Amino acid sequence: MSGTGEAAAHLVVENVSKRYGRKPVLEGVSFSLAPGEVYALAGPNGSGKTTLIRMVTGLAFPTSGRVLMLGENIHEGGYAVRRHLGAVVEAPAAFYPYLTGRANLERLAWLSGLAGAAERIRDVLFALELVAVADQPVAGYSLGQRQRLGLAAAILARPKVLVLDEPTSGLDPDGIQKVHEILREQAAGGVSVLLSTHHLREVSAYTDRVGILGGGRLIDEVVMEGASERHRLRVSEPERALAVLQTLPFVEAAERKGEVLVVRGPVDAVVKALVDDGHRVYEVTADYFDLYEYYRERIKHV
Amino acid sequence: MFRFVGWEIVKMLHLRSVRLGLAAAFVLPIIWTLAPGLKQVYGLVLVSGWQVPALSLLAGMEFLYPFLIAMAAAEVLGSEISMGTLKPLLLRPLSRTRFISAKLIAALAYPFMVLGVSLLASILAGLPHGLGGFFGGTGLGEGGFAGLGFLSAGAAFAEVLRAYVFAALTLLPIAALSLMFAVGFSSTTAAALGAIATVLLMRLLIAFPGLKPLLLTTYLDLYLHPADWAMGLSLLFIYTVGFGLLAVLLFERKDV
Repeated sequence: MSGTGEAAAHLVVENVSKRYGRKPVLEGVSFSLAPGEVYALAGPNGSGKTTLIRMVTGLAFPTSGRVLMLGENIHEGGYAVRRHLGAVVEAPAAFYPYLTGRANLERLAWLSGLAGAAERIRDVLFALELVAVADQPVAGYSLGQRQRLGLAAAILARPKVLVLDEPTSGLDPDGIQKVHEILREQAAGGVSVLLSTHHLREVSAYTDRVGILGGGRLIDEVVMEGASERHRLRVSEPERALAVLQTLPFVEAAERKGEVLVVRGPVDAVVKALVDDGHRVYEVTADYFDLYEYYRERIKHV
Repeated sequence: MFRFVGWEIVKMLHLRSVRLGLAAAFVLPIIWTLAPGLKQVYGLVLVSGWQVPALSLLAGMEFLYPFLIAMAAAEVLGSEISMGTLKPLLLRPLSRTRFISAKLIAALAYPFMVLGVSLLASILAGLPHGLGGFFGGTGLGEGGFAGLGFLSAGAAFAEVLRAYVFAALTLLPIAALSLMFAVGFSSTTAAALGAIATVLLMRLLIAFPGLKPLLLTTYLDLYLHPADWAMGLSLLFIYTVGFGLLAVLLFERKDV
């Protein structure tokens, strides 16, 4: 399932597979990201998340399939394709320890051909709350400061695609909050964000889709917008009510969980339809989708 | 590209193996001039400061300098891998060919740095023995240390300089070989050991006379036999370019 048309997509991963010798690490993974979309990759250790991130960023080469960034093949289209990319692929992000944070960013800005680098560096250092340590050698940075400098480096050249492997790893709660704020801002500004994470509850507030990897395959893709529009209804005669709901065209999904019906669709119309059919509706509550619980359920048998 | 190569050289000068190598190249001539066993080992009593550079070359080129070059060339890439800085660089719109070529040029500059420092230290260490004209030889020209009569300071310096340039050139294939192994193994230690093992293996292959003219190791003492320069330098050039090209080609499709 893909939520985006490929023509408009910033990032398209097409049937990507990777083998090391005879051992498959990724098999036929496909998804795409629209501008401004946040896509989280989840999966247990060894599921292929990091390999997929390396493939998407052009650091590793797929055995088959292709990755298109703004329509250009990141592996065959030449190095210039990466002008649209900002990424942190390791935690903590790595820098030259004998250079200051600012000097590290200056070199990266130069490699990116960034115009107005000094001003932009000042801005990203400010945004990541690193101004106070900007002129100290990175060797003296804490883990969290390095991680934030990594994100500063990733957004430095105003990328259109941001790829982050465990962006909140090693951060304190304030740092985690700051990273999430920046990712939201980037997405709101039209940047497509792909991130891998184990912290699903943290990202579920702003991620648009979650891809669940298991055994090297994309075993499920959860559209978070739809998931958040679910409601739990306690009604009379739930079995008959479920049958009614399943005939209604505006009900996207309905299932019975014990004495409760979980329904995805416009709640006012659902309640009206049930009342019109002679049911009593005792209680209606929003069904907050627990991504973490869902994820645990999905990977249980992988 | 010049700026990029310059940055690579600056990064290289921050490497421990490089600093250690340069320090060793500086210290070795000074220690050698003070060595009490010079007469037993080389049959030499120093009569001029211009003989010290030869002592440094004879001692260093046997194993130390090739080893230092192999270590440094491997670490030029290996340090980026171990520090984790390789990936962030390759995430930028930067050609892999340009990147590894700049590293290759930096690695190829290192033999000249080591031998430049060694020459400087040799001249400094030779000062107490005098750097004027003398009767004898530098050990790097015709007649060895005994020489062919009077040698002016200018002629002595020219001989020494030529020998050091030849010595640096003979080390270039080792640098390129070590960088190629670093691309293949993604490890400083494995690459340096691979390069040194290859050189030692080539030395053993002199038992095959047909191979001898084609072996890299046949020309490692080219600085003592400048008459063979045409064949020697051609072969060393081919080895250097060959190893360098292989490094570039391997890196172009290397999973990082």
